[in-house]
Amino acid sequence: MLSTSEYAIETENLVKKFGNLTAVNGVSLKIKKGEIFGLLGPNGAGKSTIINMLLGLIAPTSGRISVNGINMLKEPEKAKGQIGIVTQETVVEPELTAEDNLKIFGRLYQIPADELQKDIDFALKLSDLEGFRKAYAGTFSGGMKRRLETAKALMHAPQILLLDEPTTGLDVQNRVKIWELLRKINKEQKVTILMTTQYLEEADQLCSRIAIIDHGKLIALGTPAELRQKIGMSNIIEVTVDADVLQKVVQIFKKAGLEPQTLSSKVLAPGGAKPVEKVEQILRLLSAGKIDVHSVSVHEPTIDDVFLKLTGSAVRDETGDFKGRRAAMLGRGR
Amino acid sequence: MEGADEMGLANDTYTLFLRDLLIFKKNLKVNIVRSMIFPILFIVLLGAFGSTPKNVPVALVNYDNGLASLQFINQLQSGGSIKVVSSTTQQAAAAMLAQGSVAAVIVIPTGFSSDQLPKPDIYVYLDNSQPQSASLVNEVVNKVAAQMGTQIAAGSASLSDSVPDSVSTPIPVVTNYAYGAASNYESFVVGGIVIMVAAFGSVFSSGFTVLSDRELGNLKAFLTTPINKFAIPLSKIGYGTMQSLFSAYIGLAIGLALGATLAAGFAGLLELIWIIFLVGLSFSSLAIALAMRAKQLQTYALIGQSIVMPTAFLGGAFVPVSLLPPLLQSVAVVDPLAYAVNAVRDIMIKGSLPLGGLVLDSAVLLAFAGLMLALAFTFFRNTSEQLS
Repeated sequence: MLSTSEYAIETENLVKKFGNLTAVNGVSLKIKKGEIFGLLGPNGAGKSTIINMLLGLIAPTSGRISVNGINMLKEPEKAKGQIGIVTQETVVEPELTAEDNLKIFGRLYQIPADELQKDIDFALKLSDLEGFRKAYAGTFSGGMKRRLETAKALMHAPQILLLDEPTTGLDVQNRVKIWELLRKINKEQKVTILMTTQYLEEADQLCSRIAIIDHGKLIALGTPAELRQKIGMSNIIEVTVDADVLQKVVQIFKKAGLEPQTLSSKVLAPGGAKPVEKVEQILRLLSAGKIDVHSVSVHEPTIDDVFLKLTGSAVRDETGDFKGRRAAMLGRGR
Repeated sequence: MEGADEMGLANDTYTLFLRDLLIFKKNLKVNIVRSMIFPILFIVLLGAFGSTPKNVPVALVNYDNGLASLQFINQLQSGGSIKVVSSTTQQAAAAMLAQGSVAAVIVIPTGFSSDQLPKPDIYVYLDNSQPQSASLVNEVVNKVAAQMGTQIAAGSASLSDSVPDSVSTPIPVVTNYAYGAASNYESFVVGGIVIMVAAFGSVFSSGFTVLSDRELGNLKAFLTTPINKFAIPLSKIGYGTMQSLFSAYIGLAIGLALGATLAAGFAGLLELIWIIFLVGLSFSSLAIALAMRAKQLQTYALIGQSIVMPTAFLGGAFVPVSLLPPLLQSVAVVDPLAYAVNAVRDIMIKGSLPLGGLVLDSAVLLAFAGLMLALAFTFFRNTSEQLS
């Protein structure tokens, strides 16, 4: 079916409540066809809930979702057919051969019987597993399983590919390989990609636009460059000390012309254009004040830094039990 | 449009069933071995330690009503093995025997109390679908008859010296078996085991695969595809039912090899399919409902076992319902497996399925299956959002 919508995915005031907890609170997104769109946020921010609603796994409490112009709530089966999904966990059936794994999902994706064999052959070729057609997936290495799963997600030629933290837990080498694959699919097959990630660097590398989610709300949206500008993305200077001298260090940062923020026993600030000079200055002042320092570092901004800047609070579990509890309630505490 | 939906559901169900079938095929050898262990263990163990029943219910038809007959009846009951639950007409007693509410009918003929010798024959009709009870009744009746015969002989000797060498003349007993097959405990217990492994087969296949598929993320993966989501429970119920038939027939084959009978012959095998199908359907549905609630495999296994075992025992899988304490007997009335076990014994020992019995057993099992199916689908619909 040809769709006239210019958006691959459109959500309007999406809300999802679990009992008293509002996991997603009025998120409106418009993802254009052909985009690689990144959804960023810490654990428990509502990313996975949004993804699960886009996949039709859970129904929103209120709001609207359309996929290629098809209303997910009214025609879920039709809408689901437009989407391919790669989850964080590798889901292949170890007790089935590579070919049977693809055959079952090909049938579930309603590929007509006369095209199925051709699509299986294509997917095996794509995943470089032609020689392992009759081998059980349980005998595969982690990388082979991952390739089989990706081939499975692309077999029915979806127009949209959803990836839920595709690189979490992977080493740098494999991460870069996945990035290359995603760029290739996006460019050659015009597949719209929506991915979630905890890594700002990853979103920066891949995505044409990024949305940042926290506490179920959209707190920033734009191209990586726009976001960088918005949050003044220079390298971050970080000093860790005992809590009782924290305020002294804050004063030192201010004296060095920085705008410090504190996070438990850390003092952080964007280092501006010449961070190394600022570090030298801070070190001199620290030593003059005879302050015991645990560590000093300069690093590229992480999602933590972005969050600190945007929300004034930490991303991960340092803020106490609330986020851990929330993650547990949503059933995805890791 | 609706027709297309139904086609979609059937097609998706078949695809998911096919998947489980391919996995089943891969693990076929393990599955066969697993299905063999339980029946072998139970037939051998229970065959060796078949317990001696007490208070076996019998019906009495007394055409005599003289003093000697009352004495005979008292002696029959004195050991505590036999309990006369009804004294009635031959027709009514025969009906009770056919229903299985008594294990035997004892007929005392007219003229039993008269002094005339030889005494007329006592007739015993035994329900050999309850082999332990039947053989016990037979044993007791013959023993009492022999004793009384000796006493009468001794008594007549003391009255008259004309018979100096008193000869023991036991009262003749004619034994009739209600059913054709030479019944034994193996046949009895195999009937119970077939139903028990059928119930276990579905609980430990359909529910287990749902939980492991959920754990591995397969259920979520299925739900993201454009299928009718009810194809998931439907295919799992189909798979569980298939496993029930598979396990039950392996159990039956082992039973036959170890000496059980199949009185209904080849047709009986086909009749068994229907009964086991209903058991598999019900317990697979129950398993799906359970798997939706019990989120951990251990919890599920525990609940599953503690449902199947008591239900099978109460249903008379190992001890006839008629020998259970009265309270448990009344509970067994609502135990669907009691009807399944009954139907299987009818096929294996009695050799024919009385139409009334078949209708009742099937109706109860069908109603139970319907209830469990509704439960499975309701629980699936209510929890499918949590499956991701």
